[in-house]
Amino acid sequence: MSFKHFALAASLCAIALPTVAEDRPVLDIYTYDSFAAEWGPGPALKAGFEKICGCTVDYVTAVDAISMLRKVQLEGATSPADVVVGLDTATSGEARATGLFADHGADTSGLVFWPAWSDAQFIPFDYGYFAYVYNTEKTPNPPKSFEELIALPSSFKIVIEDPRSSTPGLGNVYWIAAAYGDRAPEIWAGLKPHILTVTRGWSEAYGLFLNGEADMVLSYTTSPAYHVIAENDTRYAYAPFKEGHVQQIELAGALASSNQPELARQFLQYLMTPEAQTLISTTNWMYPVTDIGDALPDAFPPQPHVFIAVSEDMIAANGRAWVDAALAALQ
Amino acid sequence: MQLLPRSSNLALPRRPLRLLAGAAVAFGIAALVGLVLATILTATSGDSAAPSRVDVWQLLRMTAIQAGLSTLLSLVAGTALAWALNRLRFVGRELVVGLFASAIVTPGLVVAFGLLAIWGRAGWVNQTALALTGQPLEVPLFGLGGILAAHVILDGAFAARILLARLDAVPDLRLKTGQSLGLSAWQRFAIIDWPMLQGAIPGLGAIIFLLAFTSFPIVLLLGGGPANQTLEVAIYAAVRLDFDLRGAVQLALVQIGVCAAVILLATAAAPVSAVTGGSRVSSWRDRGAARALQWLVLALGMAGFGLPLLAVLANGIGPGMASLLVRPGFWHALGTSLGLGAASAILTLLMALTIGTARAAAGTSAARTLIGAPAFAYLAVPAVVLSLGAFLIVRALGAQTEASAAPAVVLLANALMSLPFAVATLGPPLDAVTRSRGKLIRSLGLDGWQQFRDIEWPLVRREAGIVLALAFCFSLGDLGVIALLGTQDFTTLPLLMYRALGAYRTNDAGTIAAVMLLVTIIAFVAIPRLFEVPDARR
Repeated sequence: MSFKHFALAASLCAIALPTVAEDRPVLDIYTYDSFAAEWGPGPALKAGFEKICGCTVDYVTAVDAISMLRKVQLEGATSPADVVVGLDTATSGEARATGLFADHGADTSGLVFWPAWSDAQFIPFDYGYFAYVYNTEKTPNPPKSFEELIALPSSFKIVIEDPRSSTPGLGNVYWIAAAYGDRAPEIWAGLKPHILTVTRGWSEAYGLFLNGEADMVLSYTTSPAYHVIAENDTRYAYAPFKEGHVQQIELAGALASSNQPELARQFLQYLMTPEAQTLISTTNWMYPVTDIGDALPDAFPPQPHVFIAVSEDMIAANGRAWVDAALAALQ
Repeated sequence: MQLLPRSSNLALPRRPLRLLAGAAVAFGIAALVGLVLATILTATSGDSAAPSRVDVWQLLRMTAIQAGLSTLLSLVAGTALAWALNRLRFVGRELVVGLFASAIVTPGLVVAFGLLAIWGRAGWVNQTALALTGQPLEVPLFGLGGILAAHVILDGAFAARILLARLDAVPDLRLKTGQSLGLSAWQRFAIIDWPMLQGAIPGLGAIIFLLAFTSFPIVLLLGGGPANQTLEVAIYAAVRLDFDLRGAVQLALVQIGVCAAVILLATAAAPVSAVTGGSRVSSWRDRGAARALQWLVLALGMAGFGLPLLAVLANGIGPGMASLLVRPGFWHALGTSLGLGAASAILTLLMALTIGTARAAAGTSAARTLIGAPAFAYLAVPAVVLSLGAFLIVRALGAQTEASAAPAVVLLANALMSLPFAVATLGPPLDAVTRSRGKLIRSLGLDGWQQFRDIEWPLVRREAGIVLALAFCFSLGDLGVIALLGTQDFTTLPLLMYRALGAYRTNDAGTIAAVMLLVTIIAFVAIPRLFEVPDARR
């Protein structure tokens, strides 16, 4: 094709594209980067929803859930976003307090949560538990609590994430604070010699662990499932801790300022369908919020027996102090 | 330092247009930084969040110590390597030079993982030690030592590349005179080499200091915990976790203030009358101990700088590549990265030439500083502040989302990031040309364009080639701003790498890192070659 032809074709496309787009309403979804990335659930969910909605789904991404919330906060009522996907227990309180979110109006009766889901603004789309993941060949006897971990020789190394820049990092702080209360600084001080490093995000920490630099990494109970399903590698497991595990529920909500409120509601409902849940579980590597039966691969590890609830109110009242105390203990 | 006689200013050709253009670029950059900060402050709508929890002084002290040590070590290592590489001739020398130069433009994350692949617990050295002696050789890689090691790999190798260009520019005549005088290896360095290096050291030192001062991923990955941290991390936390934009701007101002002091010191340094131009391959070898030392320095350099990068290549290139290479997303990202790199390289060169020629034409040191200092500004502005500001500005301009403006923002950010390096590379030779040939230019009555075409360009084209390669590769490897913009359809290789890492796909991330490194090395070997001085005609 000569340049002239190419230029002609290109300009034709440029003219043709907007007219196609204008036929259909557009649903603008804010989400975190790895959700919308080609390896995440985003592309398949977009395709699935576009089939039934007669609309076009557009993702706008932020580095992570908190940055996404900041974006919405800065934009306020003029935000082009219709739906925000990827808030979680640690950020939902702050998000709710902005008053920017509308009631979701979706049917949440079929969810696995008990007591039944009662949040008026946010619907859950997956959940998991923060946990330390290890290699069963290298560590046959993993610690079964933070205290056992502390008691190990200091050559037993863990990698954790910074609570100021990472969701699991923040979850870990809440975990220790909720499990140990006033003793939390003592636990942090005990962990200090075991901490190889504190990374910015989950990716770096998990990379260090996979490279063999550390014995355990702060991640999710579901992480081993990825290795089994995608790599046929059964060496990885999470260490169940006696204290229990903190649950992270990932949430989605519709903005009050949305110009497509009905589409937004439909999308939230779609996220909870078995079709979407099956997709999400093996691309976001978290547990589904509805019972999808056999569609959930056996490789997903059993859920921890004990879990610790950390409520929005607790986080609003103490979150910042907990982070400060943890950082101070690590100085 | 040889001070120029005051009367030399009289020999400067008058170039009001150059001064005007340089001042315009400098002012534009300064205004952009000001606008970014002002926009963020306006967006805070006056509500003061909880007081900052950051102990600024403690942070400043730790950061300054780390950055000072990084700078010192990088300059020493860079000078030694440049010295060795200038003297030695061997097969594959150009590849080695390319490999060293590529370090600084490789994402810090890649270098850090390369370092770990060699010196880490599961690294090559430790595995070898374990196999040979049964004892692991635990290298304390996490903490200040690890941060310094990674910074020296990134910045020391870069310093070597820039200083080598200065040494390679020593005129033949000088070498011949030196050789006939029978200078010892040390005398040769002190009398012939050092004056060449002197002009580049302040700018280079300032850049390395700023890079280390604002370092983010390396500090967090290898720092070992919150004890080793930079202001940049605190600013990130203020924006992201606390949503304390006022506090973030305050911290950013502290960072910019410190960096500005360093920049002013460096740019105010009197221009050194460095000589430009190429020398052909010298036949003057050092003998004996000096020669042995050169080989030793090279070997250490290869082990220290080369191995981590080789590890990245070795880990990334393998059977796993196929699964990535069939993804259209990969080729799309590669295309975007190459196009962005080319555009950013040209923009950088234009800005650097404008600033460099204007600075050289300026008669007073105040004017030199005013024109030169803003070029460094980008290094001082935290990426998170810059992307936040860009987001707000783009919104104020009426764009629907900042994603639609992302290509322009990333292009500008990448060019601004390379600009300090470009000015530090092109500035000294441009100064030297103006000062050594000012009288000639005046007596010939050349106009500005003729001066550039006939006198300056032939003498700085070698450096211009380096600048293009550098800016191209910087843009290729940048993960700073693009990661913070919402750019779903505008994906570069580093972003794709980070996404792969975030999706458990360590192998794919490794392959992308290797591809980036490969392209970088090729660019560093090929682009400067296009600009080599054709010696037959000179």
